[in-house]
Amino acid sequence: MISCQDFITELGNLLDNDLATEIREQLEAHLAHCNTCQVLYDSTRQTLRIVTDSGSFEYPEPIAEPLVTKIMDRIRAGCELPTTPSKG
Amino acid sequence: MSFLPETENPDALASLAFFKQHFGFLPRVFRAQTARPDLIESQGKLIETLLFGKGSLTRIQKEFILLAVSGANQNSYFPAVHSQALQFLGVKAERSQQVAIDYHQANLAKADVALLDFARKLVLEPQAFTADDVEQLRARGFSEEQILEAVLMVGLTNLLNVVQIGLGTEPDFKPRLLFPPKEVNPAVDSERPMLERPLADESVSADPDAEFVARVKAGDTDAFEELVRRHGRRVYRSLLGILGSAEEAEDALQDAFLKAFQHLPEFEGRARFSTWLVRIALNTGLHRLRGRKDFETLDEDSEDFRPRRIQAWQENPEESYSREELRKLVEQEVMKLPSKYRVALMLRDLEELSTEEAANALGLTIPGLKARVLRGRLMLRESMVSYFAKTSAGVNA
Repeated sequence: MISCQDFITELGNLLDNDLATEIREQLEAHLAHCNTCQVLYDSTRQTLRIVTDSGSFEYPEPIAEPLVTKIMDRIRAGCELPTTPSKG
Repeated sequence: MSFLPETENPDALASLAFFKQHFGFLPRVFRAQTARPDLIESQGKLIETLLFGKGSLTRIQKEFILLAVSGANQNSYFPAVHSQALQFLGVKAERSQQVAIDYHQANLAKADVALLDFARKLVLEPQAFTADDVEQLRARGFSEEQILEAVLMVGLTNLLNVVQIGLGTEPDFKPRLLFPPKEVNPAVDSERPMLERPLADESVSADPDAEFVARVKAGDTDAFEELVRRHGRRVYRSLLGILGSAEEAEDALQDAFLKAFQHLPEFEGRARFSTWLVRIALNTGLHRLRGRKDFETLDEDSEDFRPRRIQAWQENPEESYSREELRKLVEQEVMKLPSKYRVALMLRDLEELSTEEAANALGLTIPGLKARVLRGRLMLRESMVSYFAKTSAGVNA
C-alpha cells in the first residue's frame, strides 16, 4: 500500500504519463480511497492545463524584431562580448 | 582495452584483492597496472589510509571531495566506481552523481559546500590558490588536520584521474553520467568554451537547425539571423525563468545569442543546437544572477514541499476569468516562484522540452530535474488555489 507521501513523489510522472503500468495501478488504487490526493491530482492537472493554455509569456514581434536587429548589427560589427550588463 | 598491455601476473592477485574487498569488483584502472603489483599495492595503501582510514574528515566528506574533483576534471570513471561504494554507505546514486556534476545543487551543508569549493579551486585554479583559501576553511570551523586531509584527497583524486587517462582505461560499466559544460556550475568562470556532452540520451536523429548551423559555420553570417528568429522565444523564456524580469531577459538574450555565435565553431552537433543554445542562455542568466544579493537563495531547501491547501477546484476554473485576466494571473504567479523551480517548470511545461533536454540544459540529473519541476508545479498550484477553488467549503490540510 502506498502512502500519500509516496503518491506525491510519483505525481510528476503521473502527470507526464511516464509510469510503468504497475506503479500507475498502485497510484490509481490509492486515489480510489484518498480524497486529499485526488483533489491534489486534479488541481495540479488543472494548474498545468491553465498554464500551458494561457498564452502567457509571449514574445511578440514588437519586442522580438528590434532584438534580432540589435543582435545581427553587433555580430556584423564584430563586437566583443560585453563583460558587464549593458542597457538597451 | 587500455593503452598498455595487461600482463598476466599471479603476484598481482594479492594486490588486487584489496580492491575487490572494498569495491566489490576489480576496477579496470588497477587491473591495467598488473605489470607492477608493488605499485598497485602502494596506491591501495594510500587509498586505504587516506580515504578509508579514520581521520578528521568523515568518509563521506572525503568521498565527496573525490566526486567533486573528478567532476572538475570531467572524469566520469571514478564517480561511477565510487558511486557503488557510496551506496553501501547510504548515499543514493543520484546524489553521488549530483555532487560530481554540480555540488552546489546537491543539498549539502554550507560547510561542506565550502570544503568542495576549496577542493575545486585547488584543482582548477592552482595558480590562484593562496593562504586566503586555507583561512576561509579555518573560518568555517575546519581543523588543521582536516584541511591537510582535504588537500591530500584532492591530490589523490588527481593522481587517480590522471592515471586512468594515461592508461586509457575504459569504464567498468556504462557511466551513467557525462559532464555538462562547466559554465552551469556557478563556482567557475563562465567564459570558457562550451563543451557539449549530453547528460542523458537525447534523440538527436535530425536536428532541424543543422542546415542553418552548417551555413553559419561555412561563413554565411546572415544565416544566423534565422536561428535567432527561430529560438528567440525559447531563449527569452528561459532567461525570464532564471532572471524573473523582462528587461533583464531582453538584455541577457542579446548576450546569449552573441555568445552562441562566437562559440559556434566549437559546436559539433552531438546535442541539438537548440539544447546547446538554451544551455548558453541559462549560463548567461546564471552569470548575471551571481551578481545579485539574493543569489544565496539558490541553495536547495532541505524539506520536501508539503501541499497545504487541498480544496477542490471548480470544474472549469478558467471560465470565471477573461483570457487577458488569466494570462496576467498565470504570469504573476509563475514569476513569484523561486528561480530554480520557475525555470525548470517553464522549460518543461511552457517550452515543452523533454525531460532529458531540460536536464541537460540545466546541468541536472533526470531525477533532480523532475524534483524541481514537481516542486514548481505544486507551489504554483498552491498559489492558484485562491483564484480557482470552489467557493463552498474546502478544507485546509
